Amino acid sequence: MRETRLWSLHILVLPIIAVLLGAHFAVMHYAPVFYGMSVEKAREFSTMIERGKSITQLVLYILLLAAGLYHGMYGVRGIIRELPLTPTLAKLVDVGIIAFGLFIFALGTYVTWWTYSYKIGG
Amino acid sequence: MTDKTITPREITFRVRRYDPDVDTVPHFDEYRMHVHDGMTVLEALHQIKAEKEPTLAWRSSCRMGVCGSCGMFINHLPMLACQTQVLHLDSDVVTIAPLPNYENVKDLVPNLEPLIEKHAAIKPFIIHTNSKEIDEPTGEFLQSVKERESISQFTHCIKCGLCLAACPTVATDPLFLGPQALAQAYRYTADNRDCGLHGRLEAIDIFHGPYQCHLAGACSQACPKGVDPAFAIQLLKRTLVLDSIGFGKKKSSLAKVMPLADVVKAIEEFAPPPRTVK
Repeated sequence: MRETRLWSLHILVLPIIAVLLGAHFAVMHYAPVFYGMSVEKAREFSTMIERGKSITQLVLYILLLAAGLYHGMYGVRGIIRELPLTPTLAKLVDVGIIAFGLFIFALGTYVTWWTYSYKIGG
Repeated sequence: MTDKTITPREITFRVRRYDPDVDTVPHFDEYRMHVHDGMTVLEALHQIKAEKEPTLAWRSSCRMGVCGSCGMFINHLPMLACQTQVLHLDSDVVTIAPLPNYENVKDLVPNLEPLIEKHAAIKPFIIHTNSKEIDEPTGEFLQSVKERESISQFTHCIKCGLCLAACPTVATDPLFLGPQALAQAYRYTADNRDCGLHGRLEAIDIFHGPYQCHLAGACSQACPKGVDPAFAIQLLKRTLVLDSIGFGKKKSSLAKVMPLADVVKAIEEFAPPPRTVK
């Protein structure tokens, strides 16, 4: 794929990250401000499961995961590829970054889905 | 600048020496000589070579900032030796070394091959897609003053390579195309007579292309001709992004063709006034 498209996407996901990360902070770290709930209570397993059962949360967290991972992995690739690498090694780095990113995405998606489909009380 | 700084006086020149046949590592030799007002670093080197060190090697030609041959690292900044007056450096010790980010051939001579190779890779010429017009021209490809002005500063590049020597990204990533080639890629791509963007994509739309620029701006500061390669790289990014989403400027090799008959007429209109002195 053209580097321009990869780079443009890396910039375009920034507003998505900014909005969704803001929402994540509001839910998790500023719960006393936005929900009148203590931070400890916001982080409790039962509260997390309760939140995770929302379809909106499922979609938004998977979107945040995808956007954050893409932005981060593109940045890591940029740092590593700036080293003097042979073309083969550069290709390996690209493949490795994609594989690692997909693995983390799959893991994150699984956890988010697991939370969504968790049955309270067994 | 104070009067003191341009007072003719004794200056110590620390010149980096390296002969690959003799030296394992470069070293500095010092030469002390009287410098007069207006004397350039290049003139000082000529004097050192004539009077003190005949084996000293460097590359130079025009002596007036046009050929771009005498790029050197003068007091830790890339400059043209012919355009740099010694007393304006405001220092009693002038350190001269070959341009960094290039292989050192000998003494002050850098190997500029990477510069030339990168420049050639971006196809630095007008590319037409209308081969019929090229083979059987019916007129001239026109360029308005405004169109010319939009690329004017980027046409001033003299390929001296100072921008690559100043670039921190080239220092860590030798494969980075660098400010010179990328600015020239923009210069030709933005030319209204050029239709070659897609022919250049293979060379410029790559990882080591414009997106590796860290926006240090050192290239623009180093350029002895006032070109702003850092700005050209940003403009090139815009061109590439717009093209990638289908909003690139549509150009036609036919659009600006002026019939030859009109060209002759235009030349006649701009004919010089008749001679007043016989």
